[in-house]
Amino acid sequence: MGQDIATIRVTRYRPEKDSKPYFQEYKVPYRQDMVILDALNYIKAEIDGSLTYRWSCRMGVCGSCGANIDGEPKLTCASFLHDFKGRTITVEPMTNFPVIKDLVVDMEDFMEKLVKIKPWIIREKETPPEQGEYKQSAQELERYSQFSSCINCMLCYAACPIYGLNEKFLGPAATALAYRYIEDSRDQGKDVRFPIVHEMEGVWECTLVGECSVVCPKGVDPMLAIQKAKILGATNALKSLLMPRGGR
Amino acid sequence: MGDSNRYPELRRRISPGWWRANRHYAMYMVREWTSLFVALYSLVFIYGVSLWAMGSRASFLNFLRNPAIVGFSIVALVFTMYHAVTWFYLLGAISPIKIGRSKTRPWQALVLNLILLVIVSYLAIWLLVLR
Repeated sequence: MGQDIATIRVTRYRPEKDSKPYFQEYKVPYRQDMVILDALNYIKAEIDGSLTYRWSCRMGVCGSCGANIDGEPKLTCASFLHDFKGRTITVEPMTNFPVIKDLVVDMEDFMEKLVKIKPWIIREKETPPEQGEYKQSAQELERYSQFSSCINCMLCYAACPIYGLNEKFLGPAATALAYRYIEDSRDQGKDVRFPIVHEMEGVWECTLVGECSVVCPKGVDPMLAIQKAKILGATNALKSLLMPRGGR
Repeated sequence: MGDSNRYPELRRRISPGWWRANRHYAMYMVREWTSLFVALYSLVFIYGVSLWAMGSRASFLNFLRNPAIVGFSIVALVFTMYHAVTWFYLLGAISPIKIGRSKTRPWQALVLNLILLVIVSYLAIWLLVLR
């Protein structure tokens, strides 16, 4: 099997040296089974050790290696080089995030949002482990299971122009995870999460662009979670208006 | 957390032409802009109905027959259908109805709602114009 050569244009930005980012082009020999992350690893090992990017698992589980590939937010470990045959591949840091170096973006904002929505099961009163697990039926699991597949890769934030315009927006992944717990039959933290999801920069900021669900590498539909959360919020507001006492 | 000045970061601004990056963004932008036509149509229709309320049904119908209004209505109808398809489909995705063990699919909600839209529209036209 012969080797093809891929031309890759990577954003370079070293804050200590560069006042603005620029592109650097590399030629990478590749086989059929190589992905863009392999090409970046090849560049770092064989051509230019200063190239900086995040990665870990190489199999679409850890969510570390997101980048904009030809303008589209994708996992570099899930994008095959042969799909770009004959073209120069442009790899840039994910949009909407501040760049620390080369392809590495600052995740701080997302991490804060992730903690804010309390992504764990909240119980009014924990039962001791001896009493057994909190049981759940298959139907109850189905209500939220797709939203629990999120790997926090932040591609949905890179695809969201609303987040690009207003970084206070809670955003797709955090809302999808909040909704995942709101819909979990074992969870009793709705009263804690509802105000977070429904504050000014919560779900109501979303104007249904829908690109978050298109780019998700795990088949999560954050756009749907946001709209479902809107319906839940509106229904609850209506109920408390019509039945101020016990309308929940 | 907190110490945000550990290193200088490159902050980027979203460019005004962001919506040209792909088809989905462009479709979104079209939906945003066409909603202006939908709003404008509502005003035109309210004006038409007010002609009837303050004058006669004939003045209302004459207003509707104005070629400019007919043209505008056709454009507004096309744009409104785009919104109808978007929201009816979304309705089916957000609130699928459980029938036995299976759930309705979004396209079923879309088709059903479009049929209802045609029926309701015909009733409205019959009530206002044909009767």
